[in-house]
Amino acid sequence: MKKQNIAAIFFLAPYMIVFVLFRLGPSIAGILISLTDWNIIGDITFVGLKNFETMFRSGHFWTALINTGKFSVIVVPAVVILSLALAVLFNQKLRFRGIARAITIIPYVLIPAVTGVIWNWMYSYKSGILNYYLENAGLKQVGWLIDKKYALISIAIVIIWSYLGYNMVLFLAGLQNIPEELFEAAVIDGATKRQAFMKITLPLLKPVTSLVITLSFINTVQIYDQIYVMTNGGPGTSTMTLVQYMYTSAFKDYDMGYGSAIGTTIVVILVVVYFVVNKLFRTEVD
Amino acid sequence: MRKYFRKILLYFCMVFILLIFMFPLAWAVVCSFKSELEIIKWPPTWIPEQFTLENYQYMLEHYPFVRWSINSMIVSISATVLILLFSSMASYAFARLNFVGKKIIYSSIIAMLLLPIQAYVIPLFLVVNKLGMRDTLSSLVLIPVANVTSVYILTNFYKTLPRELEEAARIDGCSYFGIYWRIDLPLSKASLSSVAILSFISTWNSFLWPMITLRTDKWKPLSVGVASYVGSFLNSNGFQYGPSLAAACMAILPTLIAYLLLQKNFVQGISNTGIKG
Repeated sequence: MKKQNIAAIFFLAPYMIVFVLFRLGPSIAGILISLTDWNIIGDITFVGLKNFETMFRSGHFWTALINTGKFSVIVVPAVVILSLALAVLFNQKLRFRGIARAITIIPYVLIPAVTGVIWNWMYSYKSGILNYYLENAGLKQVGWLIDKKYALISIAIVIIWSYLGYNMVLFLAGLQNIPEELFEAAVIDGATKRQAFMKITLPLLKPVTSLVITLSFINTVQIYDQIYVMTNGGPGTSTMTLVQYMYTSAFKDYDMGYGSAIGTTIVVILVVVYFVVNKLFRTEVD
Repeated sequence: MRKYFRKILLYFCMVFILLIFMFPLAWAVVCSFKSELEIIKWPPTWIPEQFTLENYQYMLEHYPFVRWSINSMIVSISATVLILLFSSMASYAFARLNFVGKKIIYSSIIAMLLLPIQAYVIPLFLVVNKLGMRDTLSSLVLIPVANVTSVYILTNFYKTLPRELEEAARIDGCSYFGIYWRIDLPLSKASLSSVAILSFISTWNSFLWPMITLRTDKWKPLSVGVASYVGSFLNSNGFQYGPSLAAACMAILPTLIAYLLLQKNFVQGISNTGIKG
């Protein structure tokens, strides 16, 4: 036992030093800094909950929170439904399905900021190809990124496009974990394929679904890169998210305490969502 | 007959989906080879009337694109190597050794799975600033090393290895390090490849952190370099699409190649994070 303690120190030290310094430490420190007034150069003063008070009174904060909420409400259900559909399709015995799967994942491995650049060009108002097709179809052109009404949904589409492949892989793994006999037995017992899918496959996919929802949510709350190159929060504040508001507060206005308060809020949101999703999906399975 | 119809429908769906997925990329690649005049021409053309490399040339001549690529390479490769070493060592300890505080330490790591860097980036910046590492490549290398997914994947894998192997080796007088180095590491090649490709791609693609820590243009990785080029023109009239598309095409090529080469491991890596969770 004692020998193992010493060995453990040897094996853990390199990772733990980096982990505590650059991950665990900062995660905890963020909460403490959010209780202070600090502009990096000057002194730190403890101000209690003042930053949160300012935050809740700020119109920008609510805009950012609502925009982040809008993104989640659009992206999460779309990702769950579409990636499940993709997984079911690519789980069929089709020729070239391996290649098809591989292609579907490609958007996920591209630099998100660069994905934004590529879509910028598609969404271009005057010379974008999407508007060209719309015009050809006899429809009105859309100001994808320059119209307040459409900017948020346009970016959401890019996010969905990027994350579908990743979540499809999760669902595929889930599908392949379900023993085929279960499905076949149900069909033999007279269930239609659709019934078997609804009554057997879907319930057994619940753990994966809960994972996909949680991950999509985390991913949506943290989106920043694509927005930075596509609209930078605009037009107006119509695509400004919490992460962007935090970035501006901390690194443009140098208000570390206030920025950390926003960061802490993001943490709270993520933790709450995690527990809610888990509660909803786990209890029904057990 | 009905079965036949169904098959055709499925293939039709497949082709349609693939078109949607490939469309933006294909369009960007095509346009990156057009002259600026042709790019904004109406109606747009799918085959460049005049195939030109001028956008690539412009980008390479006017911006430190090569330097950015080298930075991205250095950072992603070093981070990946360190992640493989540090995470596999830590995972070995979590899977195989009994030590004081194991549960608490491991839980504190797993809890961090939930928090993306956006949630703790401000204090992280303050730590890095205090250590005098701000605006250096090493700050780009070390932050991904504190990654949690790799420890999670590898610990789960090492737990599946039969204990008998290890016990036999212990009887033969093998040290813990010997077991880790000569038995567990070689056996976990597939998992290590998964971790490697996931780490490489996520480091290559990272954006927010490099953007916060870096001030000097010549240390920028590709993601920030390309984005700052585009960002500096956002909502202004002088923006040229051609060079930005050429830059985009060049910037995504390395991860694309890495992904295509290690595709199986990449997919396996994603599935591994899911199944046991």
